Amino acid sequence: MATIEVKNLSKVYGSGETKVTALDSVNLIIEQGQFVAVMGPSGCGKSTLLHLIGGLDRPTGGSVFIEGSDISKMSDTTLTELRRRKMGFVFQFFNLIPVLDAIENTALPLILDGIKPEIARSKASEWLSRNKLDGRGNHRPDELSGGQQQRVAISRAMVSDPVIILADEPTGNLDSRSSDEIAVTLRKIVTDWKRTVLMVTHDPRIAAYADRIIFLKDGKIVDDTLLNGSNGENAKRLKEKVESL
Amino acid sequence: MSVRHALLGLLAQKPRYGYELCAGFTALVGGKENWDVKPPQIYTTLARMVDSGLVTFNNANGQQSKGEYAITPSGHDELMNWFRMSNIEEPHQDPFYLKLMLSLELDEVDASRLIVIQRAALYQELHRITEQRQTLDPQNQLAQMLLMDKSAMHLEADLRWLDMIESRLDEVQRQPAPKPALRPRGRPPSQSA
Repeated sequence: MATIEVKNLSKVYGSGETKVTALDSVNLIIEQGQFVAVMGPSGCGKSTLLHLIGGLDRPTGGSVFIEGSDISKMSDTTLTELRRRKMGFVFQFFNLIPVLDAIENTALPLILDGIKPEIARSKASEWLSRNKLDGRGNHRPDELSGGQQQRVAISRAMVSDPVIILADEPTGNLDSRSSDEIAVTLRKIVTDWKRTVLMVTHDPRIAAYADRIIFLKDGKIVDDTLLNGSNGENAKRLKEKVESL
Repeated sequence: MSVRHALLGLLAQKPRYGYELCAGFTALVGGKENWDVKPPQIYTTLARMVDSGLVTFNNANGQQSKGEYAITPSGHDELMNWFRMSNIEEPHQDPFYLKLMLSLELDEVDASRLIVIQRAALYQELHRITEQRQTLDPQNQLAQMLLMDKSAMHLEADLRWLDMIESRLDEVQRQPAPKPALRPRGRPPSQSA
């Protein structure tokens, strides 16, 4: 059973003359433990795809299956719970709560899920420590650098032990060095922590850390490449691609 | 060209045996994976430098590997001139550009697919370099890491260019193909009365 499966997924905005097709009948399967980057020019539908997979938006056609469950048919309440339990989100502008410190921000998803505050804080500290933020727990976002804030966001995303991490331009607001750190952290989430990561990015250097890149254009997938050259499957796909010339 | 100057550089430090120069060159470029120059090529280059008076060779038993090479004042001048030159690479000789231009002329090849395939290949290479860089030790191998960074940056530039040409491919196709400039041959046509 695939971790993420998308069937004939479409998202259309507006109607008639002002109709915009953001996603056009997209099909995609992502297996557990893959680090997948989604790339493409502005307006290609990559963020829309991520939002639909994360249940942050509803499709106008087709379905999204998370570990076999069709989320497009779920009620808001069920979807919210699934999102809180199975998914972690990382955004370009960090989206931390300014009045909460690092530990409080990180612990928030657990608190919202009814976990006891002491346990939530303890788990939050563990994740902050893993992301090299020891001693920063009591700092608020405005007392942290961009890279540090994003690492708090990643800690928050991981604290509820999700199956999938969805990242939307996680390095878009960071300098070169911090971007690399975040990419390495996301890589570790897959390699060491065995989660599935789906990341929208326009930065090739960051995409290079992934296992697979999906290229979107005008709402459709135009290419799907495995990055590990030693893979026999990849060689077969490359051959098919060359033959399609 | 640079191989000869790298050898002069190694000899400017001290005289060396042939096999030392081979090993020294490989270490300097960061390993055979980066730049593989085989011993016969090194020995041929050294022999030419001896002929040109840039280097002297003192062989105990005739074998190039076991003889000692030393730099001459002339060789030292050559080395210093090389340091003073700047190095600009040749970006205009691009096999992919050739392929793309030809594909626009041939119906049986789809230029857009070419770009998609090239992009995938560039990403695979960028991934390989990224992984390789992760295995290096910043305390001891910083120089090699910076070389990997250079490769990564060049690949990023190639990818950016690919995006650019992809977005303007239609425009390029609409313009007339480059016509070879042929000079008229033979006698000019006679003017009939």
